Amino acid sequence: MFPPEVLLIMVNFAIGLIITISLNIEVGLLNIPQFGRLLAVVMGAIIAAAVPGRILAAMLGYPWGAEYADHMYNYKIVAEINSVLANNPLLSAGIFLLTLIIAALIGGVTGYLCAYPAIRLKETLGITLLAFGDLAVTIAWNYDPLVGGTTGVFVIDPFIFVGPAMRFTIAAFITLVVALAVYVYAELLVRSPYGRMLKAVRDAEIAAGIYGKDIIKVRKQVLIIGGAIAAMAGALWALFTGSMKAATYTRLQWTFWPWAFMMLGGVGNNLGIFIGVLIYTIVRYLIIVYKGAISTVVGVSPEWLEYILIGLLIILIVLFRPQGLLPEKPTYSISARRVTSIVKKVEEEVEKQEESSQSKSNKTS
Amino acid sequence: MLDLVVKAIAYSSCIGIGAVAIALIYSATRTFNFAHASLVSWGMYVVFAGVYLLGYMPYYYIPIAILVGAALGLVIYGGVNRWLLKAKASEVNLMMSTLGADLILFGFLNIYSDYLIQVYKIPAKYFVLEVRDIMIGAGDISIRLIGIVAPFVLVAIVIALHIFLTKTKIGIAMRASIENPELASISGVNRDLVYALAWIIGGGLAALSGGLLSLVVAGYTAAGMTMIVTFFAGAIVGGLFSVFGSLLGGLLVGLSEFLGIALLASIVGGWVYAYRPAVPLAALAITLLLKPEGLAGFFIKVRE
Repeated sequence: MFPPEVLLIMVNFAIGLIITISLNIEVGLLNIPQFGRLLAVVMGAIIAAAVPGRILAAMLGYPWGAEYADHMYNYKIVAEINSVLANNPLLSAGIFLLTLIIAALIGGVTGYLCAYPAIRLKETLGITLLAFGDLAVTIAWNYDPLVGGTTGVFVIDPFIFVGPAMRFTIAAFITLVVALAVYVYAELLVRSPYGRMLKAVRDAEIAAGIYGKDIIKVRKQVLIIGGAIAAMAGALWALFTGSMKAATYTRLQWTFWPWAFMMLGGVGNNLGIFIGVLIYTIVRYLIIVYKGAISTVVGVSPEWLEYILIGLLIILIVLFRPQGLLPEKPTYSISARRVTSIVKKVEEEVEKQEESSQSKSNKTS
Repeated sequence: MLDLVVKAIAYSSCIGIGAVAIALIYSATRTFNFAHASLVSWGMYVVFAGVYLLGYMPYYYIPIAILVGAALGLVIYGGVNRWLLKAKASEVNLMMSTLGADLILFGFLNIYSDYLIQVYKIPAKYFVLEVRDIMIGAGDISIRLIGIVAPFVLVAIVIALHIFLTKTKIGIAMRASIENPELASISGVNRDLVYALAWIIGGGLAALSGGLLSLVVAGYTAAGMTMIVTFFAGAIVGGLFSVFGSLLGGLLVGLSEFLGIALLASIVGGWVYAYRPAVPLAALAITLLLKPEGLAGFFIKVRE
């Protein structure tokens, strides 16, 4: 129905949007130098590769222990599970939702664990988080029983029941729907009192502390939210591609590029991030399509050209437009008319209370 | 066993040199230098190209690698870092700008590597220069020269940096402006010069460590990117603001990566070798959680 190019742009855009939004919640709203986005993403991918397949294998009576991740058995078991899922839309939908929920939970847990250094460190926090991400990938890459180590594993396909013709279209659309839901959530978060409180903590930590905001708790909460969202992106990506290999989760692609999208679009501005990710996804697609033409004109491989262009882009943004394409706007709040009406209401309440207390005191006297 | 120890010493000396580069640039300009990764790779490729195209010993090309690294460091400072420091950019923006510089350097390094393959037909994708090293020794015992050269260079750098930072005027000015930038510039220290010098020395040391590393580990364009966390770990374990502390930290992380894992393997079994890349990360995490100020915290007391 849709050409594969459009689907590819759609999925890349959706995954990029989810991760960048999650990054923005941490960086844009609370100024946490989250250079370890990879950690939560790869955790989500590990969950998608290791957990739902094992649950179904155990339910259907296939081996689900270390053998599940063994490359000699894995493809057979996954094929058997997929053939069951193909005739069972309800089970597929259920396992899809369950995967997302577990991934979000584990992502939240990683966020909570990251809070331990995030509360204590200042300058070195970014590098520490980066190291955590690399550590998770190293373990997943070497510990075979988890997700097959260097051989990787196949991931069960909850979209298989729609048939091979529609599979990628449906999967891409569902991924996009999740991304848009995350976008709406982030926008609601920014406009909520909680979002305004985050920005207050970001801009003046001490002042916010004086007004009774628990800064440590706020940091923990934001890291949990960000981790949960990013892990969902990792799980969606693993489910979409149908396989999981730890080495493909590099910090360049899953940490630094989202940073670049965010800085291009505008730190702290969800709409800006939407536009930033869209521009970048389309440009990258064009580079891939016109690979041959570019390399004959420039004389170098377009792959390296892409690195140079992104590097230049980052430098130019930082030098000339550090606020991004769409700078952060002042937080939305309720209109002046509503404020006056609320004030009026409160005053009436106070008057009433005063009257009642006066009448009470009259009675007692 | 001797081979392993020699290799561990050479490797950890290189990591120590690289960690100094990171600490120097960070303490002078508050910039975490991600471009360090590609500077290391560039150092490797300068040595590699020299050896394959012109012959002679690999050591002849290490001074050229230093010059290339210093020049690239100066370019990054003059082109990007200087303006950001003037604009008082945030630490995250400073870091991101060096990441951009790193990607550009990485792109050009790959183009250079493709060019070497196409024009000179030399294996620039992946190379091992270790075999080009000279074996020295007496009788049955023979070791590679790098096992002596690398620690020797490390000691030379310690002495040179110490003299530079305590005896020369510009070095003292540098220390002053690291410790208190405002006061130093009031006293007439040219901050621009100090920052530029930090980048030149940092770039040169990064390429030097890359050039030496090409004789220890396999070289490929992403080698620096894979090792950057080890360098960061070394610098942070040693205490980011202390040049000599980070040298010690780099040495320690490098040694634990080689010897620590060998020791562990002899206890629990050979399967732990696969987790070698996790050692510096674990060292980093443990240090930060137990002693965030790093090794330097043990022997530097802040006067109150």
